[in-house]
Amino acid sequence: MTTSITMPQLGETVLEGTIIRWLKQVGDTVAADEPLFEISTDKVDTEIPSPAAGTLSAILVPEGETVSVGTELATIDDGARGAGDTASDAGATSDAGTTAAVTTTPPGADGSKPPTTDGTGTTRSAGTAPRRVPVSTPARGGPRSSILSPIVRKMAAEHGVNLGKVTGSGAGGRITKGDIEAYLASEPPAATAPKLRVVSPADGAREEIVPVSHIRKRIAEHMHESVQTSARAWSMVDVDLENVALLREREKQAFRDREGAALTYMPFVARAVCEALLEYPQVNAELRGDDLVLHRYVNLGIAVAYAEGLIVPVIADADSMNLVGLARAIGDIASRARAKQLSPDEVHGATFTITNPGPFGSIMSVPIINQPNTAILSLDAVEKRPVVVDDAIAIRHRVYLSMSWDHRVIDGALASRFLARVKASLETWDFAEDLGR
Amino acid sequence: MIPGTWIVRPTEPVPYDLASDLMHDLAERRADDLIPDVLILLEHPPVYTGGRRSDPAHMLWPEERMRARGAALRLADRGGSFTFHGPGQLVGYPIMRLDSRLDVIPHLRRMEEVAIRTGADLGLSLGRDERQTGVWAGPAKVCAIGVRLSAAKVTLHGFGLNCSTDLSWFDAIVPCGLPDRSVTSLSRVAGRTISVAEVAPLVERHAAEVFGSALVPAPTDIADAFAAPARAAER
Repeated sequence: MTTSITMPQLGETVLEGTIIRWLKQVGDTVAADEPLFEISTDKVDTEIPSPAAGTLSAILVPEGETVSVGTELATIDDGARGAGDTASDAGATSDAGTTAAVTTTPPGADGSKPPTTDGTGTTRSAGTAPRRVPVSTPARGGPRSSILSPIVRKMAAEHGVNLGKVTGSGAGGRITKGDIEAYLASEPPAATAPKLRVVSPADGAREEIVPVSHIRKRIAEHMHESVQTSARAWSMVDVDLENVALLREREKQAFRDREGAALTYMPFVARAVCEALLEYPQVNAELRGDDLVLHRYVNLGIAVAYAEGLIVPVIADADSMNLVGLARAIGDIASRARAKQLSPDEVHGATFTITNPGPFGSIMSVPIINQPNTAILSLDAVEKRPVVVDDAIAIRHRVYLSMSWDHRVIDGALASRFLARVKASLETWDFAEDLGR
Repeated sequence: MIPGTWIVRPTEPVPYDLASDLMHDLAERRADDLIPDVLILLEHPPVYTGGRRSDPAHMLWPEERMRARGAALRLADRGGSFTFHGPGQLVGYPIMRLDSRLDVIPHLRRMEEVAIRTGADLGLSLGRDERQTGVWAGPAKVCAIGVRLSAAKVTLHGFGLNCSTDLSWFDAIVPCGLPDRSVTSLSRVAGRTISVAEVAPLVERHAAEVFGSALVPAPTDIADAFAAPARAAER
């Protein structure tokens, strides 16, 4: 069962917060009430506890991003399926904003809170500790002060130091960092823990060390894996979009008035691609072990750039949509992707992907295939170019459509025929009908 | 709620790192309900601190220059931008368990209220700015605020109230990230020297009222831990 983690409300007038740190990574086990992430608002940094126990299955908002209250940030999977579960329902709203998501377990109530070690070297846990201490009760300590700095406690935990064996040199026998270091120097070395690098904002530095965001790491893994897996080859066609451009010019105002969005070239290309994919299913396929899985439907992935990187939301059953339906679906997922409001389902299961670097000025691209697809198409910038038409030089709207394809599945002849089909559709179809005109 | 709030009031300046360690330790113990709320009132030796999201552009001097003038630079796990702590500034760290995460903004307002009432005792008219947390004397900030709320809803960090602070320390930074606002002190506003020693008892009294809890001295081993550097110097 999956628990959805959302941006909690931090004040009646606080409408958004910035994720400053994920304290767990995808795949990590999380206990209920264990700190999960930190958010920052104007003057307050807040540590948010996990509302549920399980495995952190997805992080949807990377560090540094500011999102509004209620935005889904992550999901926790408890590994169980079906009813009878105590975890909350995904997507439910936060209970008065007091926790990150839906259920709140009192600290230690489920016994899952890890025990901590106090200064006396004994173990205490929330479940056994007295919940109320009278004011007059002094802090525990005995001969040594019970106050121990987090650094000392962390060092002791990392190196497995029994604090009872360490002599404290601080006030009242308080154990200092130096005492632990001296103790470690006198003991055989234990396994060393990885060191954290602290980034200081010193002025005048010629290099800046920036921690790689979670989403960047995921993109890196995904891209590298694709290049290692596929036998990538590349083909390109030069497509005349004059008719599409004329139609678009004629219809764009009416479309904007009706749909509230611009009519771009993307839905035209997506429409032609979907049709061609059904005709050439190897381009809409997945190599799964010894089998080639040919999809008789199109789940169209659209690569969307946003501040932190790239995400590929998916339009399910795109082959069943007409031009207007595709335009709406593309506008919807692109805006929600940039607002980070996609559900995990919406970024999985693409059977083919279109990337669209055109708005950034690129005229041809060699994209990396979005695994496990067998091909990816790049829609670059549509430009007016001089071309030869009927032995005369004409100015036409043209675009290079490039496709990276996996030579394990597709051969050059097939890739070329597929692209030729897309080209022919874009150059000859009467899209006006599709627009309802 | 455990009746009474422990007050820790070291007489000597407490190095920032030590105070930060002890504050975090107390917050963990507070989270486990082993101790009641604690209010720490102290002075730090000169130190510049930033929150994790502080804009490095708001640090006008390089760290070397800060060090050359005798101040350390530390990054703290609190909200807010760069600030300065040092002699003449009363720093308050309320380590308090809140009933609700939503209570953290009212917590900021309560700290402001303590400073405003303290100012009133001294005949000074201090106020809030609706858009900027902190306490202001006209356009200048006299009390800076930045906090952290732990997963267990325990507050850390707090406020810095300039009593007789040498305000030239603030030349090194854009305090609280507000380039068009300045910093002042109770002494400057009053036109006479108002020391930390004069202000601390007023802050204690108003904190008890505003936070709704009597202040009782913390056990000696806790007080001793904050006095560690002074003791070390005596040895």
